[in-house]
Amino acid sequence: MRRVGIVGAGITPCKSHWLERTYYGLSQMAVKTCLEDAAVSVKDVDAVIYGIYNDIFELSAIPEHPLQGIIGMTNKPGMRVTNGGATGAYAMLAAYTFIASGLYDTVLALGVERSTDCFDFESMTQTPEVIKTIGWSADTFFERELGWTASDSYAEVVLAYMDDHPEDLKPEISAKISEILCQQAKNNPFAQRRDEVVTAEMAMSSRYVVYPFKLLEMCVYSEGAGAILFASEEKAKAIAANTGQPIIWITGIGACNEHSVAGPDYTRHKYMGRIWSDHIASHKAYEMAGIKDPVNEIEIVELHDAFIKQLQITMGEMGFVPVGNTDALIEDEIMTPGGKILVNPSGGLTFGGHFVGGSNMFSCWSARREMIERELSRGLVHGTGSTVAQYGVAMTLERSG
Amino acid sequence: MAEKVIPDHFIPPVASEIVERDGESYLQTNESMFTFYKRTKGEFSKYFLGLRDELKIYGIRCPRCSTVRVPPFALLCPDCDFVEMEYVEMADRGVMNSTPPITYFAHSLFQSWVPFGRGRVILEGADTALPVHVYTTKGVLTPFVFDKSTPVKIVFRDERLGKPTDIFAVPLRELDADQRARTPLMESDLDFSTSEEPTIGDATETRQETYDRALAMLQELAANVEESPRAQANLAGWQRTIEVKTAAGSLSLAIDDGSLTVTEGSPDRTDFVMACDDPQLLVRWMSFKDALTNAIVTGELWISVNKEFTTVFKLDRLPRSVRRDLA
Repeated sequence: MRRVGIVGAGITPCKSHWLERTYYGLSQMAVKTCLEDAAVSVKDVDAVIYGIYNDIFELSAIPEHPLQGIIGMTNKPGMRVTNGGATGAYAMLAAYTFIASGLYDTVLALGVERSTDCFDFESMTQTPEVIKTIGWSADTFFERELGWTASDSYAEVVLAYMDDHPEDLKPEISAKISEILCQQAKNNPFAQRRDEVVTAEMAMSSRYVVYPFKLLEMCVYSEGAGAILFASEEKAKAIAANTGQPIIWITGIGACNEHSVAGPDYTRHKYMGRIWSDHIASHKAYEMAGIKDPVNEIEIVELHDAFIKQLQITMGEMGFVPVGNTDALIEDEIMTPGGKILVNPSGGLTFGGHFVGGSNMFSCWSARREMIERELSRGLVHGTGSTVAQYGVAMTLERSG
Repeated sequence: MAEKVIPDHFIPPVASEIVERDGESYLQTNESMFTFYKRTKGEFSKYFLGLRDELKIYGIRCPRCSTVRVPPFALLCPDCDFVEMEYVEMADRGVMNSTPPITYFAHSLFQSWVPFGRGRVILEGADTALPVHVYTTKGVLTPFVFDKSTPVKIVFRDERLGKPTDIFAVPLRELDADQRARTPLMESDLDFSTSEEPTIGDATETRQETYDRALAMLQELAANVEESPRAQANLAGWQRTIEVKTAAGSLSLAIDDGSLTVTEGSPDRTDFVMACDDPQLLVRWMSFKDALTNAIVTGELWISVNKEFTTVFKLDRLPRSVRRDLA
């Protein structure tokens, strides 16, 4: 396989609702910013992968089709990826594969999503309709009609984990992580909740949405777009020579989809107390990258924190702390300010924003930005999605020069 | 008239409007994305007809690896080169696969159910877990009613449509010997009558002082709601009269379409009751140190009507809304 590097990235501000732009306009904003960052013309881009999660959010069953011409990719290949919350990560995996296979030299991964155009006319608010829209993602024969939601689906996993590890995930630890992410979001000019102040005490006392998830310990709904430009080694070096920016090489990439039906044996069904998708995806990526000891070899992680307690479990599954003692993230100062690993300097999806199809591009944009600005050598970008954290993707990064 | 697949009150009028932001005008229109179905249950028909008409739960067993899958979500075993499996009738008892999530904030389709639990039960002899609603017959549904391995029994709804909601699980420990032995056990065999109001503790001097403080803070909150657009929006279109009982006395909260009135003593009529020993809980709520929802979940606060969680959410939002508008 050929070497693949990231040579440009651009995102829009994350907003709870973009009144000023449709998803067409948001896509243009992200692509323009990304290509300016890479100092290339769209004419130099060979193909595009679209990450758009939910047709209903965009009010279209082929939501990517109008974007092809709008972003200047007429008569070039374009393919949409939709994989629940992990849509963006899977779209980047597809972009990587397009180049690694030798088929193309420069591929754009564009993630975009609306959400709060959805509106509940009973409560005259958006949130219930957004939850309902995501609810159509559930198994339609056996689960959706039971009131499945994304939150209660991830709560199932966390509660099962707590059954197995009752001493882990202490409330004060999740609250502290929320506070840290809130502070880190202030360094992200595009963060949705940049001006918000959430302390550990506030997070602790916020109300339960679905037990054990509290309002200030979970991601927000956002609208926005993100674009990442991938290039083959030769092209990447040429682009980097022009921009003067280091190339962020993709050294490893792994993905895993678990079974959706619960059972005690994780090799045949979903074992509810683990996120094996994250474990398998990350370890595949480590194997490819030659990483043996992630906690000492990776300096920055941009992780898909749909829920803070899930962030903790995912960090355990990815080998940064032991599964069963993820509170070590705080207690052993792994992710506290100045700690061993910089986790979600963007504020994560909790404070930065979560426009589903492009959230992982948002994470990738941040990881690249931090690796360049702070001169960090190795990073990791993660995506999770679907019911019961069924899908996981991990991508390890390395900065050139 | 038969119930509609989309209730009329969910449907907005055809309309458009101009919304202003940063000096610019933007047009938005009321739209919808709907499709009607006559959808086959296909290979799952036997399972759903079993629930609806036979009052039986079917699983499916692989003759080669002996795995029993419930619900029978595949006809051919994916682990044995797609060998054809055979239906088996399952027991109506099992254990929880894990602690089930309890939803407190639901969207419009399920709002009337809150709080509700969606769990997975491993029926006796099964290798996979059956998704079902979980209920308690003993009052407010909290996360502490069930946990991993809690023995449960499946109960059939009296009215069934051939849907996953035709059955639910209750803890075996809540059933008497006759109910445990009965198969099928029907919803009407259970007693879901309102749980008894807890006995309130004694009024101590400290609690009286706290009650006075809580009452004053609540009255200040009510006054602030009048100045807070966010808080008014939280209470818009809502009417409820709530009696809050504490060891040091009762008070009344009256919500009326965007406004809140707080008075000392019991109201003439109530939509529901909230009861707690220590009025400090109310002070903590208004001081951002706790949420009423959380107090109910942990058992510190009792409510007489489960579905009034929706009202509790609205109250929980008020202190923060007021602070954001008036800070």
